[in-house]
Amino acid sequence: MSKATRIEPDLQFIKELQEVGGADLKKCYQCATCSVACPLSPADNPYPRKEMVWAQWGLKDKLVSDIDIWLCHNCGTCSDLCPRGAKPGDLLAALRNMAYRNLVKPTAIGKWMSSAAYLPILVGIPAVIIGIIWMIRAAMLGTFFPVVDGEIVYGNLFPGDFTIDPLFGLTAVFVAISFGVGIKNLLDGFKKSVTPTFVVGYKKPSLKDAVVATLKDEILTHKKWKDCGEEPGDEEKFKGHLTLFYGFVACFIVTSIVAVSHWGGKLFHFIAPLGHTPMPLWSPVKILANIGAVLLLVGLTYLTRRRLNQDPDKSTSSYYDWYLLGVIWVVTLTGILSEIFRLAGVAPLAFTTYYVHLISVFMLIAYLPWSKLGHLVYRTTALIYARYVGRLPIEENLIEDDKILVI
Amino acid sequence: MAEKIGLYFDESSLGGFLDLEKIAESVKNKWGDLCAVIETHPRLASADGKAKIQAALDAGTIDAVCVCGPTPRVDWEFFDFGENVLVDRVNLREQCVLSYLDPDGRELVLGQTPEALHAMALDYVNMGVVKLQKATVPEAEIVESVKTILVLGGGWTGLTSALDAAKAGHDVVLVEKEAALGGAAAKMYKTIPLAHPYEKAHPTGVEDKIAAVQADERITVFTSAKLTSLSGMPGKFEAVVSVNKEEQTLPIGSVIIATGWTAGSNEYLKPLGYGTLKNVVTAAEFEAMAKAGRIARPTDGETPEKVMFLLGFGDSLLPFAEAEKAAAENPEEPVKSDDDEEVVKDNFHAVKTYRHLPYTSELASVTALKQANYLQEFCPQGQSYIVYEHMMVPGVNELYYKAAQDNPGVMLTKGFVVGVRDGGSGDVVVNIKDSLLGENIEIKADMVVLPTAMVPTTAQDSVLKLQYRQGQAFPDLELFDGFADSNYICFPYETRRTGIYAAGCVRQPMTLATAEVDAAGAALKAVQCLESSNRGMAVHPRSGDRSYPRFNLLRCTQCKRCTEECPFGALDEDEKGNPVPNVSRCRRCGTCMGACPERVIFFDDYNVDQIGSMIKQIDVPDEIEEGGPRFLILACENDAYPALDMAAIRGKKWSPYVRIIPVRCLGSVNSIWIADAMSKGNDGCLLLGCKYGEDYQCHFVKGSELCNRRMDNIGETLGKLGIETERVQQMQVAIDEYDKVPGMIDEFVAKITELGPNPFKGY
Repeated sequence: MSKATRIEPDLQFIKELQEVGGADLKKCYQCATCSVACPLSPADNPYPRKEMVWAQWGLKDKLVSDIDIWLCHNCGTCSDLCPRGAKPGDLLAALRNMAYRNLVKPTAIGKWMSSAAYLPILVGIPAVIIGIIWMIRAAMLGTFFPVVDGEIVYGNLFPGDFTIDPLFGLTAVFVAISFGVGIKNLLDGFKKSVTPTFVVGYKKPSLKDAVVATLKDEILTHKKWKDCGEEPGDEEKFKGHLTLFYGFVACFIVTSIVAVSHWGGKLFHFIAPLGHTPMPLWSPVKILANIGAVLLLVGLTYLTRRRLNQDPDKSTSSYYDWYLLGVIWVVTLTGILSEIFRLAGVAPLAFTTYYVHLISVFMLIAYLPWSKLGHLVYRTTALIYARYVGRLPIEENLIEDDKILVI
Repeated sequence: MAEKIGLYFDESSLGGFLDLEKIAESVKNKWGDLCAVIETHPRLASADGKAKIQAALDAGTIDAVCVCGPTPRVDWEFFDFGENVLVDRVNLREQCVLSYLDPDGRELVLGQTPEALHAMALDYVNMGVVKLQKATVPEAEIVESVKTILVLGGGWTGLTSALDAAKAGHDVVLVEKEAALGGAAAKMYKTIPLAHPYEKAHPTGVEDKIAAVQADERITVFTSAKLTSLSGMPGKFEAVVSVNKEEQTLPIGSVIIATGWTAGSNEYLKPLGYGTLKNVVTAAEFEAMAKAGRIARPTDGETPEKVMFLLGFGDSLLPFAEAEKAAAENPEEPVKSDDDEEVVKDNFHAVKTYRHLPYTSELASVTALKQANYLQEFCPQGQSYIVYEHMMVPGVNELYYKAAQDNPGVMLTKGFVVGVRDGGSGDVVVNIKDSLLGENIEIKADMVVLPTAMVPTTAQDSVLKLQYRQGQAFPDLELFDGFADSNYICFPYETRRTGIYAAGCVRQPMTLATAEVDAAGAALKAVQCLESSNRGMAVHPRSGDRSYPRFNLLRCTQCKRCTEECPFGALDEDEKGNPVPNVSRCRRCGTCMGACPERVIFFDDYNVDQIGSMIKQIDVPDEIEEGGPRFLILACENDAYPALDMAAIRGKKWSPYVRIIPVRCLGSVNSIWIADAMSKGNDGCLLLGCKYGEDYQCHFVKGSELCNRRMDNIGETLGKLGIETERVQQMQVAIDEYDKVPGMIDEFVAKITELGPNPFKGY
């Protein structure tokens, strides 16, 4: 028994997990219905059964480095079928919440993200910073709501060069560094915990293969996710997420064009007009932006409706879920209203809305590594890694032919 | 003795397949005036049918009733004409018409009765007539009963039984060996929940029971007391109780034994660290700590934070199992004495086995759940680890398991214990494999709690101190490793001593909730026993039977077979070795009658001559070619006979050459019947009885086993006569094996047919 692993149960960890969405984890009696029912779980060492017992025993070390929590797309089939109402799907979501909270320092932000009690801090930070900018500019321009030549130009009040772009630029750098640390921590954990898998007739993929497969099967098409769950709600969720994802992609492209043309325009003058704001409505970039906004609205509607219709006995939505949905709703609505009020020429409303828009965008981006949206990076990392090491073999027929061996 | 028999045929159950007129004519010719009335009725089980019979009885035309139609297992009470009228039922429906298999493979046609079917029906009717002719109305022997119930053991079960019996209007004597009442329950800190929602342990409430018992005028309590002798029989027991070394003699009606359990030997726990590691304790020791108000580690007296409860023994019990197996294979020869007086005066064998640990597993499971919850009470940040091989929480206790599981401080996993070792500074490290947590693991705990085995008091002491010929204790308790248990599934409170009922942990490890129900059940049995013996009736399983074995002692040779073989120790012996019956101990199985080589034992309505005469009614053709072979089946009426009925109802058929006679128990089969059957030319004799051995199903416990043993002797006799021993066979049937029983008959018939005709045929 020299190989025996010492188990150190952590009671505090169990209680924390229960707080962040795993309230019913203790009810599991290990029948493994969940692992059998899961459409995505690998045949060997399947989840979420093992995560349930680890959680009951407070085995923090095992859980924080567990790759499988990222393979789950939370269709809730396991929770639907659980004979004890232990909600394994919620537990995996809770474990992801714990990861957002603890993976990267400062964990204080993680703590603020975990409860509505801290919402004033999260709102307060951008509100104050951007508020100060507004005050200064108002003092310089002599008005809170500047209208030039009958036109509302947000750049007049919040000029990119000296206020907004440096603020968001610095934030982006902070987020990027945080994610870098997060990815490293995540991979360090995976290296310790993921069992090497040997698949007969399977060549170990290169990192490139893994990245390509992840992009193709998971991100761009959500193909894997489509396999997940059979309820109408699952379809709604799949559609909602895909729509929302492309909405963000559109907005990201637009923002990138604006940023690149603005800053690149300082070097290569000919590209500057491309991203000059405000854009006319016929501009292809503007059209793309508006399409993105509509996609966001549609996606949000799907996802929110699904969550509202959830059976509380089967699955519950945590604060993390509602926080993220809420912030995206605010970003989307204020973005659209900013455009409408701007075109309508109602300066006080337009500027106020835009102020709120800036706050919400800051909240979305600056806290990204600690919010549920962090899955964007962490899940992608885990999915690539899982393919790279064979936890998720790329050629699925090998799984069906049962040629997988864990060594 | 029936002299004027009314023979009634029920047309509705025979469906016109029998020529009743032809049968009636044969019967009339054969029996003449004995059959005073022979009638058919379109539907005998009707008000009109019954009124007709009653009228004949009232007019004095008949004095006994023979109903020919469906199996006696239907409408038995309908055809009851009072205790002074003998009634017999001839089973022409199930075991004649329905099960008739035509030898030429023809279907039955309405209005045409095949010769073989007619012959069978006629045989059965003749048997019915002679059965009544050879029976008399049993005259009950009434025992003037004392209505006092003796309860042994003043624990949870005993207190409950005493209260229940008192509530039913009986005086109770409660005998407790300790100075105080309460037993094991009084030593418990809390019990697993006894009421909805079954989520939290709570105080047992045994103090309330004690107070209620002490306040009850009907209950006399003796503490620091012991039963030293119990003689007599149900309704008329005499108990000698030693109270503070002073003996008191008490008249007692019936007895409840609720003497409970004691903790098993800790030697079986040594491989798991008990004894060598100080902080490895037993559940009983842990309970005592909680009761004392503080959980303290034996090494430093600190309250532990991490406690592991082990509900499994890994391989640690294997060496004990092997040692016990080896000992069983090479038993030490008991010192035998030829002196008759010495024979089995003490039939008590102490049982000491590791198996009491696994027997306690259900209790160990719920106790671990309970004690794991205790820890949080004494140490709020405490963590309890339960590692089980089997978590056994049957029934409503599942709710308690769920509640315990919901407690974050109680962590459960299945796992197989590999080793327990010292972890330094008093800690204990437990190695576990095959756990739900994944690979091989080890867990360090401040303290480890092992299960306590519940060993029944009857494994350690004869307890009853019976002054019976067969010995002081319950017989054959080795079968149950000392638990006072006789028929676990069918009759839980019954023991092999009539009038003495076991309840609580002395018969099976059980929770307080189960013990309470058990106590009530045993109290009811005790009351039933009194209310039967004072009416001269059997209690169980032939409840209400007023017949009892009678002895023609003039012809007795004092062979002692009856006194030795009675499964219930009903017979004592006088100085000369004559049997001394104790009627209310008797269950009327007839095992004594089957045992007696001189055939001096008989019942009024069931005797050797009667069955022998019935066998003689089988009309055996001189040549097999002229009317087929003949086979006698003696079927146990408790299991085999109903199984045959059920087979017939479900459309199974068997050879038309068998004749079935029900017997009270195969134990009552006297070998003369078989000799009679064979000498009369029957080709074979099949005995259908219950399963015997360790998992016996015999209502009379030993009947089919004894019969099987006697078969050896019959075999010898047959051999001497030149008859193949295979012609007489015993087979075991359970009541639910109706699908198998026709196959057994076919197999038997085929085998005997191969042997050819009985050489005695035609003489």
